[in-house]
Amino acid sequence: MGRMKDFKRFMSFVGKEFNHILRDTRTLMVLIVMPVVMIVLFGFALSTEIKDVKVAVYDPSRDAATSRLISQIDASEYFTVTAFIDSEEGVLEAFRSNSADIALVFEDNFYHRAVHDSDGRLQVIVDGSNTNIGSMAVFYVSSIVSSFQKELAQEAALNQAAAGGSSSSAEAVPSVQIHTSTRMMYNPQMKSAFNFVPGVMGMILMLVCAMMTSVSIVREKERGTMEVLLVSPVKPFSVILAKAIPYFVVSAFILLTVLCLSVFLIKVPISGSLMWVVLVSLLFILVSLSIGILISTLVAKQEVAILISGMVLMLPTMLLSGMLFPIESMPKVLQWISWCVPAKWYIDSIKVMMIQGLGIRYCLDAVLILCGFLTVITGLSVFKFKDRL
Amino acid sequence: MYSVEADNLIKRYGSSEALRGVSFRVSEGEIFGIIGPDGAGKTSIFRILTTLILPDGGSARVLGLDVVQDYHGIRRRVGYMPGRFSLYQDLSVEENLRFFATLFGTTIEENYDLVKDIYSYLEPFRKRKAGALSGGMKQKLALSCALIHKPDVLFLDEPTTGVDPVSRKEFWTMLRRLREQGLSIVVSTPYMDEATLCDRIALIRKGIFLDTDTPADIISKFTLPLLAVSGPHMPSLLRDIRLIPQVFSCFAFGDTHHVVMRPGELSLEAQINFLNTALHAKGHSGLSIKPIRPNVEDCYMYLDTLEEHS
Repeated sequence: MGRMKDFKRFMSFVGKEFNHILRDTRTLMVLIVMPVVMIVLFGFALSTEIKDVKVAVYDPSRDAATSRLISQIDASEYFTVTAFIDSEEGVLEAFRSNSADIALVFEDNFYHRAVHDSDGRLQVIVDGSNTNIGSMAVFYVSSIVSSFQKELAQEAALNQAAAGGSSSSAEAVPSVQIHTSTRMMYNPQMKSAFNFVPGVMGMILMLVCAMMTSVSIVREKERGTMEVLLVSPVKPFSVILAKAIPYFVVSAFILLTVLCLSVFLIKVPISGSLMWVVLVSLLFILVSLSIGILISTLVAKQEVAILISGMVLMLPTMLLSGMLFPIESMPKVLQWISWCVPAKWYIDSIKVMMIQGLGIRYCLDAVLILCGFLTVITGLSVFKFKDRL
Repeated sequence: MYSVEADNLIKRYGSSEALRGVSFRVSEGEIFGIIGPDGAGKTSIFRILTTLILPDGGSARVLGLDVVQDYHGIRRRVGYMPGRFSLYQDLSVEENLRFFATLFGTTIEENYDLVKDIYSYLEPFRKRKAGALSGGMKQKLALSCALIHKPDVLFLDEPTTGVDPVSRKEFWTMLRRLREQGLSIVVSTPYMDEATLCDRIALIRKGIFLDTDTPADIISKFTLPLLAVSGPHMPSLLRDIRLIPQVFSCFAFGDTHHVVMRPGELSLEAQINFLNTALHAKGHSGLSIKPIRPNVEDCYMYLDTLEEHS
């Protein structure tokens, strides 16, 4: 009986919170539109569509194979060969003068090495400072090269048949091999648009959960409704808990939206396990909610809550989570501070699972740290929570 | 048994003392009014009694339960209406009432007879958002929400502030009806005219009670002659009356000035003559000076001035 009543009471709280959220259409729009806009903006601003990438070529062998491959690359809509250079050092000059985005460096005697030694070497050097182009350019070059490799192999087989006459099955067809190696200049880690998605996810979830939860709890304090709620048999902490649930649902919905947009609109693959990406995201949502609750126990004005979640959460999340700048190249002190930013660990682990496609065990430390944050912050907010004014 | 007992309550906010030793008792089925201006400490008393803040000194019991030790028990059994409108503006009238009913583990239907007098005013607007109600309607809704769980004591902190005169009157009629049902009510108000509607009142000033008694007894304790003075130039008249050394206090009160002379051997007639002559000397003419019966506000002002002088 009592438990039933408690449950009913709790559910009426949750229902009330949903009403608050759903009736505040302006905030609801912000909640839904903001992540969409951010993802679309980042997605297209850092578009992975490439066209007319400027190619510089260093071709010391100047044989039939290299000139054919070069003309094939030039013919593709993605690339335009803009410069032939005389030395490997010329690559740097081409990058600096912005006359090339990538450079193809063939080795000497390329055709012979490719067909007879099965070891034609082609190096693709990418100007990493142009993050949009990098990985896609490499991808397209590789696919052109591999189809060219098949062409060469077929021709070699035909030549052999014509020359030897007896196409005995005992004699193996020479395998044509071109080895493409890639070198990134200026940005070896290749921070690209893909890497932005986990960053945006971390930022949005932090913003929605922490800011919205804290603001909505503080609003009750400010409007005086908390006073009425306290003078009732309801356990004050369940008031807070009831607030967290609708925002958890909203955040889960936003997570879904962001993931769908990333996969279908800007075509960021989820290379790792979707289940773990979602689970770790839910864990991060819980951490953010607990931060929101902690903020709400500390302040009495909505503006202060917004200020704290804005300044104290957003700024470090943007600057220190590795979303904009690589943490590895920051001063030691900032690196230490970045360890205190939950979003850093979340973004790290999502990068590992989503972009690099590695399993959960490669980011277990980050996940455990997030669990630690959750425990400590929840504990703190329970401790700081006052059931009086 | 008393519904509310407060003994020497003290509350400090930093260096300022909001309550400087307040004691009173509220009997069962009594409307107890706390009368005083803003900042006198009324809200602090309510918040201590509803267990929202802790007193810095003294003790208080509500329904025999200690406000510090047994606050859970008190919260279950009292109804509280804070000074500001404290309902959810974005929820409808009905949703608000239903929410507060569920909060206390009851339903609107179960306790409908308790609130029906009040709620019947609101029923035509039950789908309307609470934020879109008029001031009087808001107060009625807040009272309904505070009553829906059948509390034993009702704490109403300035329930009629910012409410139109008609709604105020209706509101007090409701309170008196609730009292007949045996509910104890502690209510505060800055409006002195509402004081007479209470069974007993306490006049509060800067954190202490000037007096606690029935309104009639408080008025009967005011034994000095009270004069209502009016004339063609009221503002300068007020200033000039106050400059007369023999005047104890003078306050603008509607369209007259209420004057109390320093206690002396002058009879009422002599006081009127004295005042008339003194004001004529200052250039006032066409004055009307007559004795009147004091009301609660006069008592408050007198005690207030007395306190100021000491």
